[in-house]
Amino acid sequence: MTATRTAMSTRRWLLPVAAAATTALLAGCTGGSADGGSGGQDRDSVSYALPVNFTPNWILPLGTAQTLNTNNRAISSTLWEPLITYDGSTGTIAWNKDASIATDAEFAADGTSVTITLGDRTWSDGEPITARDVEFWYNLVTANKESWGSYNEGQAPDDWASFETIDDTHFVLTFDKAYNPDWMLANQLSLITPLPQHAWGKTGADAEVTDDDRTPAGAQAIWAYLNSASEALADYDSEELWTVVSGPYALGSFSTAGEVVLEENDAYDGGEVPTIPTVNLLPFASSDAEENALRSGELDYGYISASNVDQSDSFTELGYQVEPWSGWSITYMPYNFENPGIGPVVSQLYARQAVQMSVDQDSLAEVVFNGTAVPGYGPVPQAQDSDFLSDTQADNPYPYSTEDAAALLAAHGWEPNADGIMVCADAGTEADQCGAGVAEGTVFALTVLSQSGSTVTDNMMSEIQSSLRETGIDFSIETAPVSSVLSQTPACESTSPDCDWQLSFFGTAGSWYFNAFPTGDSLFQTGGSANFGSYSNPEVDALISAATTSTDNETILEYSATLAEDLPVIWLPSPNYQVSVINESLVGFQQDSLAQFHPAQWSWTE
Amino acid sequence: MTTSAYLIRRLAQAVAVILIVTVVVFCLLHALPGGPARGILGAQATAQQIEAFNREQGLDQPLPVQYWRYLTRMFQGDLGTSYVFTSPVSQLIAERLPKTLLLTVLQAVIGILVAIPMGMWQAMRRNRPVDYVLTGASLFAYAAPVFFLGLVLIVVFNQTLVWFPSQAPRGTTVAQILQDPAGLVLPVMTGAVAMVAVFSRYMRSSMLENLTEDYVRTARAGGASRRQTVVRHVFRNSLTPVVAMLGYYVPVLFGGALVVEQLFNYPGMGLLFWNAAQSSDYPLLLGCVLVISVATVIGSLGADLLQAAIDPRVKAGRS
Repeated sequence: MTATRTAMSTRRWLLPVAAAATTALLAGCTGGSADGGSGGQDRDSVSYALPVNFTPNWILPLGTAQTLNTNNRAISSTLWEPLITYDGSTGTIAWNKDASIATDAEFAADGTSVTITLGDRTWSDGEPITARDVEFWYNLVTANKESWGSYNEGQAPDDWASFETIDDTHFVLTFDKAYNPDWMLANQLSLITPLPQHAWGKTGADAEVTDDDRTPAGAQAIWAYLNSASEALADYDSEELWTVVSGPYALGSFSTAGEVVLEENDAYDGGEVPTIPTVNLLPFASSDAEENALRSGELDYGYISASNVDQSDSFTELGYQVEPWSGWSITYMPYNFENPGIGPVVSQLYARQAVQMSVDQDSLAEVVFNGTAVPGYGPVPQAQDSDFLSDTQADNPYPYSTEDAAALLAAHGWEPNADGIMVCADAGTEADQCGAGVAEGTVFALTVLSQSGSTVTDNMMSEIQSSLRETGIDFSIETAPVSSVLSQTPACESTSPDCDWQLSFFGTAGSWYFNAFPTGDSLFQTGGSANFGSYSNPEVDALISAATTSTDNETILEYSATLAEDLPVIWLPSPNYQVSVINESLVGFQQDSLAQFHPAQWSWTE
Repeated sequence: MTTSAYLIRRLAQAVAVILIVTVVVFCLLHALPGGPARGILGAQATAQQIEAFNREQGLDQPLPVQYWRYLTRMFQGDLGTSYVFTSPVSQLIAERLPKTLLLTVLQAVIGILVAIPMGMWQAMRRNRPVDYVLTGASLFAYAAPVFFLGLVLIVVFNQTLVWFPSQAPRGTTVAQILQDPAGLVLPVMTGAVAMVAVFSRYMRSSMLENLTEDYVRTARAGGASRRQTVVRHVFRNSLTPVVAMLGYYVPVLFGGALVVEQLFNYPGMGLLFWNAAQSSDYPLLLGCVLVISVATVIGSLGADLLQAAIDPRVKAGRS
C-alpha cells in the first residue's frame, strides 16, 4: 500500500488531469460510487462471484460434456430440483431430502430395482410434478445417451433396464443386475432431474406437447429442440421453456456476458424455501478483478487465492469472514506406465514408493498452500470424515523420508552417478535388482507437464523437484495451460507418438471431484476414461466392480487401502475448492463439498 | 498513382496478409499435440465423447479439408462455433468487439487529447524544470506495466477516495455500458495514462525536430509570431509521425485492452482472445486473430491516409 501511494504521489499531477478529462467526457463530472452491488447493503439480494473465467452458457439440466460443467449444473439445479440431491450442506455428504423431488427410495431386497416416492410438489405454473416428468427425463436420456454429458458406458442409463410408473408419485426403476444401493442412489439416481413434460414435450416453439418422447425418434427430436433452445443464450429471458421450474429460484435474467440473476420462485413448495429473494451471480475475468470487487464491498460471497490467505485480516476488517471450502476431491500426478522410457521404472512398486516417500505433503500443505490444502494418501478424499476412508490410507503408508527413499532405491540396484542422480547399476528381476524392463544405465529422471498459471502450483512443483533431488531422482518441470496438459497427456499405447509424456498435473484446483460415492472406476479401473496413465491392476479392478455392486462397506475400505499402498499415481495434497470470503452477515449454511452452491440455504442475519 | 488505385492496391495486400495469417495460425493450432477435445471436455470426458466431439467439429478430417471448410464458411460470414461458449464466433465477436472498441477509442481520444498539448508544451519549454518533471513522469508511466497503473488507480480512486467503482459497466451493449459512465473512468484512465506517456514523448520529439527546421526561421523572419509559426506550421508537420504511430499502435491497444479488461472485469475482445488461447478454442481463436489482423491492417492503412492528408509530400511520394 505504501509503495503504491508513493507511486501515486509521483504522478499525482497527471492522474487528476486524465481523471478530470475522462470524467468530464463521460459523466459530466457526476462522480460515482464504489458500491456497485448489493455488497451487504441490500438484504433482499446477495451477490455471488462465479469462478474466474467461467461464463454461464447453458441452462438445460441435460446436455453434452461440453456444456454440462459443474457451474452450469449448479445454476440449473437451483431452477430444476434434482430427483435426489446429494450435498454436504449438513457438514457430511448425504441425501438432502429438502432439496430433492423424491422423498423415499426403497430398494428391492435383491438389489435389482428401486421404488421411488415423489413428494407432493408442483411446477411453478401450478401443474403437479409426477412420475411422468421423471419418465420424460428417462426417455430423453435413454434415446440420446451418446450425446449426454454424464454418460459412461455401462452406467446410467445402461444399467437401468426399465422404467415403470405405478401412479403419479411412485415409479419403479429396474436395473440390469444387483447394485449397491448407496452407489446407485448417490452416483446414478442423483443424475435424474424431473423435467416439465407438459411444457417441454414438444419439438418446436409452436409445436404441440405430445407423448413422442416415448419413441426413440420422438425423444431425439425433443432433445434436439431443447438443446437448441439452450444454445440461444440471448433469448433466455424471453424463452417460455425456462419459466416452468421446480427449484427454489426462477430465472430473473441471463446476460450473454455471463451475469445471471435468480429470483425467488413464489410457487416453490419444496423444503428449501429461500429467504433471500434475489441472487446475483457475477462472472469475473481475473482473480484481481474479483478481489477488487470484494475490497470495495461489491460482493457478498467471493474468494481469494491460496497465496493471499495471509491477507485474511484485511478482509475480516472489511466485514467478511474467510472460510476455506474443502472439496470432495483428490489431487495427484498420474504416471504414464506406457511411456517407453520411464514406464518400466515406474511400473516397479519400490520405485513408486521411493517417489511417494520423497513428497513432503505436510510441508506442502502447510507452507506452499498456506494451510489451505489437506495431505492425501490415497483414492478417497481426506478433507472430510467419511466411512470410505481406510486406516491404511489415513495413516499414510509412505511417510516422507528422502533417506529411506534413497535407501530403497539402493536396495534395488540403483546407485547415484556423479551428479547424485540414481542410475540402475544392477539390471534384473531379482528382489535386489532394478526390475523387469529396466536396463542397466537407466537414469531415474522424470518430467512432469504441469498446469501453468498458478504460483502455488509452481511452488509445489519446485518443492517436489527439490525433495526428489535429495533422493536422487531428477525431476524436470514443463508447463502449459490446463487444457493443453489434458490434451497432451492422454491414455496411450507405448508405440504411439503421443505416449512421450511421463507425468501429468492438472490439479491446481484439485485433480478429481467425486460424486457422493467415491468409486474410482474412471480413474483406476483398467481402461477407465480418465485413467490417463494406463494403470492396470486386476485386484483393483475387482474391488472397483465390487464397490458398485456389493452392499458391504468393507469393499470400498479395501479399495482405499489397496490403492494407498499400490500408488497408481503420486498422491498430493488436495487444495480447497476455494478460500471463500463471505459477508459476515450471510449465514445459515455449510459450504458444499460437492462444489455446488445452494443460495436457498443462505440467509441474512438481522 | 491515384488515391483510389492506391487504396485498391492496399486493400488487395490486406486481404492477402489476412489470408496468410489465417493459414499460419490454422496450421500452428493444428500442429499442437493432442488436439483440443480433452482440454475442452475436461478430465472426466470419455473416449466416446472425445470421438464424438472430434467428429462433430470435423477435427477427424485432413488438415487441408478442414482449412478449406473454414475458408468457405468464413467467406459466407460463418466463423464457426466456439467450443467453450457453444455460441457462434461471429456472435461473440459482435458482442465483444464494440465493447473493446469503445474502451480503446476512449483511451485513444483522451490519451491523444492530453498527450499532444503536453508534448507541445514540453517542447516549447525544453530543458526547463517543468519539462524535466513531465519527462520523468512520462518515462515512469511508460515503464510501468499497465496492470500496475490500473491497480494504483483502483487503490487510489476506488479503495481510498471511493470516487469510482473498480468494476467496469456490466452491460452487454455499448448503450448499456454508457449508462454507467462512472464505471468506465478507471479502465479508460488506465489505458489513457499509458498512451499519454507514449505519445507525449513522440510529440515532444517531433516538435523539437521541426522547431529547428529552416522553414521555421523563414516564417519567423517573414514576420510570423512564434505562436503563429507553431500553430500554423510546426504543429501540423509534427503530427505526421504521431499519426503514423497511432495507426501502428492498434495492435498494442488490443494487447493493452486484455490487461485492462482482466483488471476491471470488462469482457471484451482482449479477454476473449486470451481465454480462447488458454482453452484451445480453435474457432474462437481464429476469429479473434482475424479481427485483430483486420484491425491492424485498417489501422496502418488509416494512418497512411491520414498522413497523406496532413502532409501532401507523403501522397506524392507513394506514386
